[in-house]
This record gives sequence, C-alpha cells and structure tokens, in this order.
Amino acid sequence: MFLARRNLLQDKTRLALSVGGVALAVMLILILKGFLTGMNRQITSYIDRSPGSLLVAQKGVSNLLGATSILPTTASAQIELADGVQNVIPILSQFVILDLHGKKQPAYMIGYDPVQGGGPWKIAEGREPTTNTEMIMDSVLANRHNLKIGDAFEILDQDFTIVGLSDGTTSWMTSFFFILKLAAEILLRAPGATSFLLIETKTGASTINIQSRLDELPGINALTKGDVAANDLKLFAKVFSAPLKLMVGIAFLVGTMIVGLVIYTATIERQREYGVIKAIGAANRVLYRVVTTQALVAALAGALSGVMLAYLTAQVIMAVRSQFLIIIEPRDILLAFLAGLGMALVAALFPAHVIAGLAPAEVFRK
Amino acid sequence: MTRLAFRNLFQNKIRLVISVGGVALALLLILSLDAIFAGVEKQITAYINHSGADIFVSQLNVRNMHMASSSLPITTVKEVESVPGVSSVTPILYLANMIVVGEERNLAYIIGLPENASLGGAWDIPVGRGNPGAGEAVIDQSVAEKSGVGVGDNVEILGKKFKLVGLSEGTASLVNSVAFISLADFGSLRGSLDTVSFLLVKIDPGESPVDIAGRIEAQIPQVTVETTANFAGNEKRVVKDMSTDVITIMNSVGFLIGLAVMALTIYTATLARRKEYAVLKALGAKNAHLYQAVMAQAFLSVILGFTTGLIFTLLLSRIIPLLGVNLVLEVSGPSLIKVGSVSLVIASLSALLPIRQIAGLDPAMVFRGI
Repeated sequence: MFLARRNLLQDKTRLALSVGGVALAVMLILILKGFLTGMNRQITSYIDRSPGSLLVAQKGVSNLLGATSILPTTASAQIELADGVQNVIPILSQFVILDLHGKKQPAYMIGYDPVQGGGPWKIAEGREPTTNTEMIMDSVLANRHNLKIGDAFEILDQDFTIVGLSDGTTSWMTSFFFILKLAAEILLRAPGATSFLLIETKTGASTINIQSRLDELPGINALTKGDVAANDLKLFAKVFSAPLKLMVGIAFLVGTMIVGLVIYTATIERQREYGVIKAIGAANRVLYRVVTTQALVAALAGALSGVMLAYLTAQVIMAVRSQFLIIIEPRDILLAFLAGLGMALVAALFPAHVIAGLAPAEVFRK
Repeated sequence: MTRLAFRNLFQNKIRLVISVGGVALALLLILSLDAIFAGVEKQITAYINHSGADIFVSQLNVRNMHMASSSLPITTVKEVESVPGVSSVTPILYLANMIVVGEERNLAYIIGLPENASLGGAWDIPVGRGNPGAGEAVIDQSVAEKSGVGVGDNVEILGKKFKLVGLSEGTASLVNSVAFISLADFGSLRGSLDTVSFLLVKIDPGESPVDIAGRIEAQIPQVTVETTANFAGNEKRVVKDMSTDVITIMNSVGFLIGLAVMALTIYTATLARRKEYAVLKALGAKNAHLYQAVMAQAFLSVILGFTTGLIFTLLLSRIIPLLGVNLVLEVSGPSLIKVGSVSLVIASLSALLPIRQIAGLDPAMVFRGI
C-alpha cells in the first residue's frame, strides 16, 4: 500500500493528468446518462401534468408524441356516456417545424379548450388564448429567440400573437406550444378533428375497469397515462440507446487506456525495484496488489473528480442552454464508480503482465 | 530529430499502443458522433431523394416532412397540373403512425399513394410489388422481419388491417421506417378525402426545377414550393439544428479527453527519456532541436491516433448494420477536416508540458547520474 502510494505520488503532474483523463471519461458517461434522464422527464412532461388518468387515442396508436392520432368523430360522445367517466377533454395535437431566426425548431402543438383543460399547467407570464389567432409559447423557447408577449408569430400559414408564456414545457428536442383547438383545426385543415381525449374518472371508480370498457368502443385505444408515458419513453429510448451505448463504451475504454498508461509507465519505471522485491522473496500476488492498488486509487480519484466535474458541467450547460435538462441520479454516481472500478481492474492487467514476466535476477544484471 | 522522435515513440510498443489507442478512441468519440448524425441525415432524406419528384409542393411554410404536417386542398392538384412546364403531379397523404403486429409496434411514416403512382412509391422492392391497392400495404423488410411477417400476412396501420403485398429496402432509419398504403384507404381512415399532404411534381424534360418551382409559387396562393434538393436540404437542417448543441458539447468533451491522453503520453515518454535529452543537451543540442523532437513525437502519435480512429469508425459503420440496428454511420469530408484540425490542436497543446520540462533540464544532471 505504501509502495503503491509512493509510486503514484512520485510524479504529481502525471497523476494529475491521469486523474483528469479518467475524470473526463467518467464525466462524459454521467453527462450522457444525465441527458437521457432529463430528456425522458421532459418527454413525458405533458402526460405527467395534463388532467385525467386515461388517454384515448386512435386504434393502433399508443403514444402521444410518436404517432399522429385522429379519433372517430363519435368517440367523444360515446365515452362521455360510459360508466365511471367524469370528464372528457379533447385535444388536437401535431408536431410542426418552426422557423426561428433561420433555425428549424420542432415543436409540439396542442390545440385545447381553456374551459375544458388540457393546456399549459403553469403560465409564467400572460394569459390563456381566447381567439383563434392567439398562442401560448414555451418561455425557454421564447427567451432563446427574444420573443415576448404581444409579438407576432407565424405557424404554418397563419399569423398568431403570443399572449402567454408557459413553464416546464421545453426540451432540447422539442417544445410545447398551445393554441385553441378550433385554431388547430383550421391550421391543420381538419374541421372537428380530435387527436386524443384526456379522461377524468369519477372518484372511487376503477381506472382499469373504465379502460377496458372504453377499449371495446370501435376505432379507439384507451390507455392509462402511465402506459402512454412508458410507450413514449420506449420509443425515444429505442432511438437514442444505440448511439448512447456506443458513446459510453468509448468513454469507458478511453478511461481504461488512461489508467493503464499511467500505471504501466509507473511500473516500467520501477521495474528494478519490483525485481529487487521479487529477489528478496515477494510473491507475484504481492506485486499485483501493489499495481492494482495504484490503478484503483487513480481510477477512483478520477471517478470522484468526474462526478464533481459532471455536476459542475451540467450546471454550466443548463445555465447556458436552458433547453437542456441534465439529471444526475444517485444510481448514476454508483455506475460511475463501478465504471472507475472496472477501468482500474482492466488497466491493472497491463502492468501485471510486465511484473509476471520479470526475472528477479534482472536487478543484479543491470 | 524526427528520427529520435520516431525511435522514442516506437521503442516501447505497449506504451505506443495505449497512447495511440487512447487518442484514437477520443477522436473516435468525435468522429462517430458526427457519423451518426450524418447517417441520420442520409436516412431521413432517403424518401425525398428516391421519390422521383423534381419539386415538392406543401402547405404554406411547410418546408420538410420529418415531424411536420402539411395539408393542401385537393383542388391544388389541378391547379399545379395546369402550370406550364409541369409534366405530372402525384398527391400523397402522409402522417406518422404505427405498424402493429401483435405486441410489436414500429413507428413509421405512412404514405398514402394514388393507384399506379409514378412518383413517391418504394424504390427498392426485393419481395412482392410496390404499388398497394385497396386494403394492401408495403412495409420495410427489416420491420417485417422484426415483426415476423411476410408478403400475404396482415399488419395493422392507422387502426385497420392491411395485407402485405410488398417489402421494401432502404426505407428504415434509426427513428422509424416508411410504409405505403393506398391514397383512398388513407383518406377514408383519416375521415377526409378533400385534402392531401404533399404534391410530388415531375417537370417536362429540359425545364429547370427552380424556374418551375417559382412559377408554381407565383400562380398558386398559400403553398410552399421547393425543389427536391432544397426540400431534402431543409430536412437535413432539422436534424442539424436539433443536434448542433449536443454535438458541440460532446465534441468538446472528446477534445479534452484526447488532449489529456496525448499530454499524458508525451509527458511520460519525455520523462522516461529525460536522461537522453540531458545527454543531448550536454553534447550541445539546442532546446529548439529537442522541442522539435517532442513536437514530432506528438504529431506522429496524433496522426497514428487519427488514422486508427478513422479505421475504427469505418469498421463500426460496417459492423453496426450487421447487428440489426438501423443505425447508419456516415463519415463526411467536413467531419474529417474538423477532426483533423482538432488532432493538430491536441498535438500542439500536448507538447507544451514536456517542452517546459526540457527547457528546465540541466545538462549537468547526466554527469550526476540522475
């Protein structure tokens, strides 16, 4: 242990570079994971905060964000009559691409009726729309593009005026904006169309029973909001998991290489000393322990610095680019330390190989 | 001095492998992320580029398909057909929906095609036929394989059962796939037969797409007209604008990691050769010569790392599709230039620490046996 510590601390610059390298690799893993967690929370924000416990979509559609849903025109009336249903809230929603200062920004439009609900859950400034030419924009998106209440804004072929700014309705991929349902029908040239129905159930009624009753109605798919959120997450996870795993894998290998390089160099430099220790009777396992301890200390110090660096970087990114939400969960920190441990163990293989092949007599020949 | 750098670098093979590998992986981070987004851009524009159309007509201010919605009155078809220079007009309906087979759900862009459409259909049909009639559908082969269905089987699209009559290739991406049904089925399921989403326009031979696009836009109100090249360019910009910030952050981290690995390698290599450098100094070598050796070492390592990183990326681009993931890695020229420049910056910066070390080296130390 003493030897390992001395070997490591003998060259401070090298130690700092190695700890820094591992810290960067660990930070990358944590930031990537934090991006995904934050994005997942942002993706389900509408589902999580909108009224009702059930969501009714067109048959075959089980997502809010992934697929376009157009319900049969009779669906709302039929559902209102169903046992246990308290309230039926229709929305007409669709992704649109906004042109903002020459940049293409996907946004999710929600057409709703302010009396019935389904609109923004937190209006930071302004009010809800009352006419077909008024809209509520996400406050982060508005801020990024210097838009404020009273500004004119073009959506597809219609002019709108921003009358409110909502909070908690953004993500780096897309932001929500809200207009009257009638305005959405005009915009999409779909008179009377409804995408989804948000269902509030009567107090004490069984959500599952109501869901199965509604599911029997023709042309619709009734889902719990939890299922819809899970389906949206599954869909986006499918898109992002492969690139993410690739990046995390590369970051892990880089970290391993860095620790490996440091411990290997430190071992090579101390080759003669290891030879002496072997010559006076130390078993290989004692020397393995020395190099593994060095690798562990360097990797875990790097992992610890990486966790702190990740927190700091996440704060900076979120301050500079407010559309990003980076959430570093406690289990991710555990993952980072496990990654550090893994890096150390793999990295220790390089110097262990050197030590194993070291002849004790070597020291007397040099 | 270059020879000395070469020998220093290759003298210890394991250290060389670790350092070149570390830099290669850091550059691989940047290269592969660029390649992923370039691949997505390519996949996402596949339908537009293979549609056979010269011009796309859409609802006013709709300039792409991905995550967009367009609605045009059906009367626009006749209006566009009457514009001089227009050879044919194919209306399509389009929205994002699911291809459902049992519990298997796959997101797809559903295209409603007129019977015997000359434009806008699937362009590569290894199995079956490409033009779906009433109650028929054509889906991507990889989606069919994943769902365990083939030609003659049923799939559910827009909540209705369709019989598969063809399987297409090149129509799937990391995000989704493209499926084709008849325009009539699409219209009736959507509950509206008097609107279409986009018009795919073929122009007369010898005419210019830019001129005809301008002519259509001048004659018909409330539409946006784009040449196919521009329309595909807009589609790419959606991906680019969405990913710019993420790519910048990841590139910065990749750069820092590369820098740390490189600095560490050159530093440790110089440290190990401290005595030799002191001997050279004692023999009269100037600091500038030694700096040159360190710089050459840094540049050689980075060049090797860059080449290895590029080979890794190209290998990944071949291996990943074999794993059944619809992820395409496309290495682009601008990305290579960017990573090449980053490598040079890394090499220059990483040489700073050892240069400082050499500058402070006392030639007399060699005589003291340090």
